[in-house]
Amino acid sequence: MTFRKRRFTLGTGLLAAVSLSLTGCLGTGGSPVTPPAEDADGPLSLQSRLADGDEAALQTVVDTFNSQGGGQVELNTVNNETFRAQLPSYLTSSNPPDVYTYYGGANLRDLADEGLLLDISDVWKDAPFSDGLRALSQDSSGNEVFVPTSYYWLGVYYKKSVWEASGAEVPTTWDEFLVANKALEANGVVPIGIGVSDAPWLASAWFDYLNLRVNGPQFHIDLLAGEDSFDSPEVEAVFDKWDEIQPYFDTSASGLSFPQAVTDFTQGRTGMFLAGSWLQFNLPAEELDDYDYFQFPIIDDSVPLGEEAPTDGFMASARTDQPNLAKEFLAYLASPEAQKVMYEANGSGTLIPANPNTETDLAPAASKGQAILEKADGLTQFFNRDSSDALQSTADQALTQYLVKSKATPLILSEWQAEAEKVRAAE
Amino acid sequence: MTVHSPPAKSDRRRGIATPPVVFALVLVPFLVETVGVFYPAFQGVLLSFVKWNGLSAAEPIGLANYVQLTTDAVFIGALRNTAIWMVLFGGFSFLGGLAIALLFQAERRGVGIYRTVVFLPMVFSLVVTALIWNAVYQPTGILNETLRALGLDSWTRLWLGDPNTALYAIIVAALWRQIGYVMVLFLAGLKAIDPTLMEAARVDGASVWQRFRYVTLPQLRSVNLVVISILVIEALRSFDIVYAMTNGGPFRSSELLSTYMYSTAFTGRQLGYSSAIAVVIFVLALGVIISYLVRAFSESKED
Repeated sequence: MTFRKRRFTLGTGLLAAVSLSLTGCLGTGGSPVTPPAEDADGPLSLQSRLADGDEAALQTVVDTFNSQGGGQVELNTVNNETFRAQLPSYLTSSNPPDVYTYYGGANLRDLADEGLLLDISDVWKDAPFSDGLRALSQDSSGNEVFVPTSYYWLGVYYKKSVWEASGAEVPTTWDEFLVANKALEANGVVPIGIGVSDAPWLASAWFDYLNLRVNGPQFHIDLLAGEDSFDSPEVEAVFDKWDEIQPYFDTSASGLSFPQAVTDFTQGRTGMFLAGSWLQFNLPAEELDDYDYFQFPIIDDSVPLGEEAPTDGFMASARTDQPNLAKEFLAYLASPEAQKVMYEANGSGTLIPANPNTETDLAPAASKGQAILEKADGLTQFFNRDSSDALQSTADQALTQYLVKSKATPLILSEWQAEAEKVRAAE
Repeated sequence: MTVHSPPAKSDRRRGIATPPVVFALVLVPFLVETVGVFYPAFQGVLLSFVKWNGLSAAEPIGLANYVQLTTDAVFIGALRNTAIWMVLFGGFSFLGGLAIALLFQAERRGVGIYRTVVFLPMVFSLVVTALIWNAVYQPTGILNETLRALGLDSWTRLWLGDPNTALYAIIVAALWRQIGYVMVLFLAGLKAIDPTLMEAARVDGASVWQRFRYVTLPQLRSVNLVVISILVIEALRSFDIVYAMTNGGPFRSSELLSTYMYSTAFTGRQLGYSSAIAVVIFVLALGVIISYLVRAFSESKED
């Protein structure tokens, strides 16, 4: 008995000691770092998550920078998922990669507010970027930590031949959109294609756009920032609209993988697909001419027009031992010359250079996207980019449940809000 | 040990000090283990007592993570799914592997082909297995099309998209790959049984069932130990096939402890909380295996 008791006190003592010493042996973040004035020797390391055409474009622009003789940059590409999981370890390690591919918005701001990113306000002094892009590139106190290089658009993609056969017309308003859905359905085509078994986040594109159209961009940003709730009357209004088109969604969506859903779309079994410009990489190259996209239909003219324009670019670690070279490289990436090199090396015409002075001929799809985005009153990024990956996961649960109508919508929304609160409390 | 060795030898051995090379041989792997296994494991346990997002400083919160586990519906669901997984995946692998091994143990002509066919799925990685079965389970995949062709339209399902079937669909895919492996282990065990034992039983007039129950099974005891340990560990560390097929979905219905741990750590950035889940997995694995080993050894002592 006494033995046991002693072991117990020993246990609690140990626990207390462990708890006390934890802050010492774990968690290296939080402490501000002053970058050295002089650069260390050696090449600058660039950690990238880009693949395919984007990777080739990045390699080309790195080669161009290296050939200018100022400093050398070494590109290291890892798989996107690895990059996402490892980023905190990279940024908090004592000898991190110097420069990273990343995206503008809330996630970037969170990293910057932890003091993990290099302040590059001096690079931004004479930068010609729009105020919107500048806001995306800042931490909470208004210092720039990111250079945007390109952004892309989201659109409702459709196959012209399928629409012609069904007599469906490209819609601009919600009513026209409903008419088009009916026409497709009458012709035996499932109007709206989507596959969420492996890519549940695709459903968020629909939520984002419906919320932008019903409540406007400011509400959307506030909602994702936690200043409003997912069970509010505004969000319920979003789902009331969604209810009008929910029957047009592919009923097998929850068991369908993204590649399978795209195959259904390209083979004309489904009529449209809401996605980013990257969808083009999944369409058959030889019949690209048969595909086009339209702007997400306008629901209410009086609501400020919001569009999604996910912005990609680069940031540097606050712990880099070559801050000067890092800034030099980031300044180069921000330049019209570098963005022209990247746009042309990518070759797909699915992105828009962020620097407005970039002199390049945009592909028709890209100039159409640019025209849509220029008319917008407010730009958003995408659900996860405007909030966090953790909040994205709560949206995935809620929206996939909604799509199969597994529960009453108010219940789904109140559970969503509860999950979102839990996630925010854990942050 | 000394009982069986000749006395002269044991006397001689007593006089010699253990050569330093022995210490080196023990010490080096021990250090590697310490750095690579023990220390990170210890750190993992420590992490389960903090709240940490991987970026800012960790905040000690005592047992709060474990308290939160008890009310977390997703965790409880994952725990239940892991138990279902262990029973069904472990049980069917064991019984299926044993049954097929018994079927294919006799050296008949062409039996090698059958053994190879059953073992073949094992050469695929779990991710490839997931890809194959994903195609089978697609809404217009082989399974649903076959059912339709047989006129069983009402049996068709969104196998991976229906919260009632997703977990079981994945278990079938995992079994498809595992049974061949367990069969090979049992075949090796069956081969090691002295044929004269069987011969004697047959001469004594034992029925097929009696020979299986009183000769084969007891002789397989050491193999059972290996198979069960492997299956328990495999069941608790099952991750890749679920991750690749449903990622725990739809709406978390096929979440296992391992996939939930991963998503809380790398999507939710709750490293402390996910470490608490990891500790639970560790305790479960250790608990199941130790209790089995203790039972197995105490049984063999009675013999």
